[in-house]
Amino acid sequence: MFRIWRVLLLVLSLAILSYARSSTGSSVLVVLDPSLSKDNYSIFFKGLEEQGYELTFRAPKDVAPAIIQDGIASFAHVILFTPETKTYAKDITPQSLVDLLSQNTNVILALGSKQTPLTSLASEFSLILPPPGTPLISHFPERDTPATVIPIPVSSSSPALTSGLAPVWYSGIPFALGNNPLLVPFLNAPAESFAADTTEDSGADALVDAAEKGGEGLWAGKDMSVVTGFQTVDGGRVLFVGGVELFNDEFAKKEVTKGVRSGNAQFAREMAAWTFQESLVLRIDDSAHHKVNETEPRDKYTTNDRIVYTTHISKYNPATNAWEPFSGLTDVQLEFTMLDPHIRTALPPVPSKPGEYSVTFRVPDRHGVFKFVVDYKRKGWTHLHSSTTVPVVPPRHDEYPRFLSAAWPYYVGAISTSAGFVLFSVLWLAGDDRDQRKKKGVKAE
Amino acid sequence: MRSLSYCLSLLLAAAAQASSLSIQNGRVTVSSSDATQLSSEQLSLDPGSLPSLSLGPTDTLKLTFQVVEKDGGKGVQPHQTFLRFEADGEEGVQPVRVTSGGKAKFELDGPKVDLGVVLRRPNHMFRDWRFQDILNNMARPPVSLPPTSTSPVKVSLLLGSYKHSPASLDLFTVSVPASVPAPADPFAPLPEITHTFRPEQKVPPKFISAVFSAIVLAPWVVLLGLWSTLRYSVPHLFSPHVIPFVSSLAAFEGLLLWYWIDLKLGQVLLYGALLGMVTLLTGKQALGAAGDWRVGKKQS
Repeated sequence: MFRIWRVLLLVLSLAILSYARSSTGSSVLVVLDPSLSKDNYSIFFKGLEEQGYELTFRAPKDVAPAIIQDGIASFAHVILFTPETKTYAKDITPQSLVDLLSQNTNVILALGSKQTPLTSLASEFSLILPPPGTPLISHFPERDTPATVIPIPVSSSSPALTSGLAPVWYSGIPFALGNNPLLVPFLNAPAESFAADTTEDSGADALVDAAEKGGEGLWAGKDMSVVTGFQTVDGGRVLFVGGVELFNDEFAKKEVTKGVRSGNAQFAREMAAWTFQESLVLRIDDSAHHKVNETEPRDKYTTNDRIVYTTHISKYNPATNAWEPFSGLTDVQLEFTMLDPHIRTALPPVPSKPGEYSVTFRVPDRHGVFKFVVDYKRKGWTHLHSSTTVPVVPPRHDEYPRFLSAAWPYYVGAISTSAGFVLFSVLWLAGDDRDQRKKKGVKAE
Repeated sequence: MRSLSYCLSLLLAAAAQASSLSIQNGRVTVSSSDATQLSSEQLSLDPGSLPSLSLGPTDTLKLTFQVVEKDGGKGVQPHQTFLRFEADGEEGVQPVRVTSGGKAKFELDGPKVDLGVVLRRPNHMFRDWRFQDILNNMARPPVSLPPTSTSPVKVSLLLGSYKHSPASLDLFTVSVPASVPAPADPFAPLPEITHTFRPEQKVPPKFISAVFSAIVLAPWVVLLGLWSTLRYSVPHLFSPHVIPFVSSLAAFEGLLLWYWIDLKLGQVLLYGALLGMVTLLTGKQALGAAGDWRVGKKQS
């Protein structure tokens, strides 16, 4: 009996431990094209369910459950595995997907080589897609798969991905990236690969024509991306994947080299973790300021004061489903701005206190309404923004130094006048010249 | 099904073993604008001794070669014949037209205008990415020369085919004038800004202040000196009528000094009012006493 309880307790604690999920919620809507079978993606979906996500499946043309109900997102995350779907139910439109993102809902989008509403949505996010029907092709390295099934080594330095991941099997389209800084490329195409619609060597001339002036361009080289994230200004994350096969079981089980399984399963899980705001999620807990040698904040500061600015930053830990103090950021900057930053300085972590970042600086000798601004934007990480307004005033009339050496003559003059007055009063009151006057009077008489 | 895929893989493997691609008669020449040949190199494909060239702004680079099967030397037209330009981690890809006999010719004009701008990013000038979003529909992917700096551009040839095994050949390196650098990451840490404070107020030497203070005090010497020639007696100096008044006057002076150093106006008014009442009483007494002395009443 006792033993059973023990086992139950263990199972329960394990369940709680493994019940780790995203920082924004655990409900996931999977819109799955009827041509794709749920069972072909079982490794990816099972992995999500084991993590604690509640998956709801629906076909693109189903009416319920709607992704947005009465203007409010019904799910915390949406997966759109509909690379070839051209028509959707009324509730799924590019505009509604953008609405979702602005409500901090996260979306995974699988694109295909056909022209669909999703491909036109992708170009709104600064992805430059190749013409329809041109998948990514690579003749390198020599292998027994078709030229469109390519092993891609994971070379991204993003902290969202564990280093040393095995190459990932990929089949789909590449896309060029615009200059949008909110894009987070995760997986780039190999340097030897290119997009082409020809399946014969005789198609070589078409490639040259495409690259020439007037052609549609050539999507080739390592600057092309195949998996790219986008983090909106509000924090919602969307992941564009050029081919849905990246997630399927066949690629996850396929060997890259003899005896080495592909990195697909782990790559897909880590990509989902980033998109669903499990990894690289930060927040500012609080920020405070005070004068050096004081502890309480002032409602205003005087020019040339030395002040301390402190902030606490937490990182979401999906393993414990909790926010934990995080001291790992080394490039946070603090700006002290009045219209323009007057001071921009590093805000380093305090070594002994986890999650605390602090800096001491001297207030500029300009008075006005200043702001402490922490604006931390790094690719892939949640954007942090904190702004505290504080007035800076010139010294009050009684806060200037009282005794300047340059003014000694004035002090001496004032004090000697006072002393002279007291001396005069003493002489006038206590003095008595009656005897002398009497003598004078006697003489006169 | 399984046997079919097995056959296919066997076929593929057989094709792979059959022949791999290479080039022969490779030659690269650089000629100036008046068609004089500046340099000409035979491409050896030996990775140890790659020819290095230099391309001026008005020069033309000409590359000719023939794609052949490695064994047999028969000219073929592969699916992929790409020149890859690489410098400092940036790359550009340029496909080369190959005839069915495998002959290929490629010309590159020197960077008269900034190649990095013109060739690599068609809409590079529109740094503002929102504007670029609008342009995306007509946007093309980047091609050709990467943005270059001082380090030379490595040129390699990528040969890929459905029938032959692929080959990646290093051809030569070429130095070109530096172009506009690739756009920097807008989210990188920004440069530090420090505030330039007004310089500390200049104070004259203390010695000079002391001298002038001494000058201010000088009249006292004159006053005391002249006073010593007078024979002026102060018989009532310690009279109980005079001392309280004089000390309250002195207290007033002290209060003003205190005000200057520390006190606020309200405190001064309060203390001043209290002191004023005391001074009024003591003053009345002192002046009364003084009047009595003057008219000769003997009191003390």
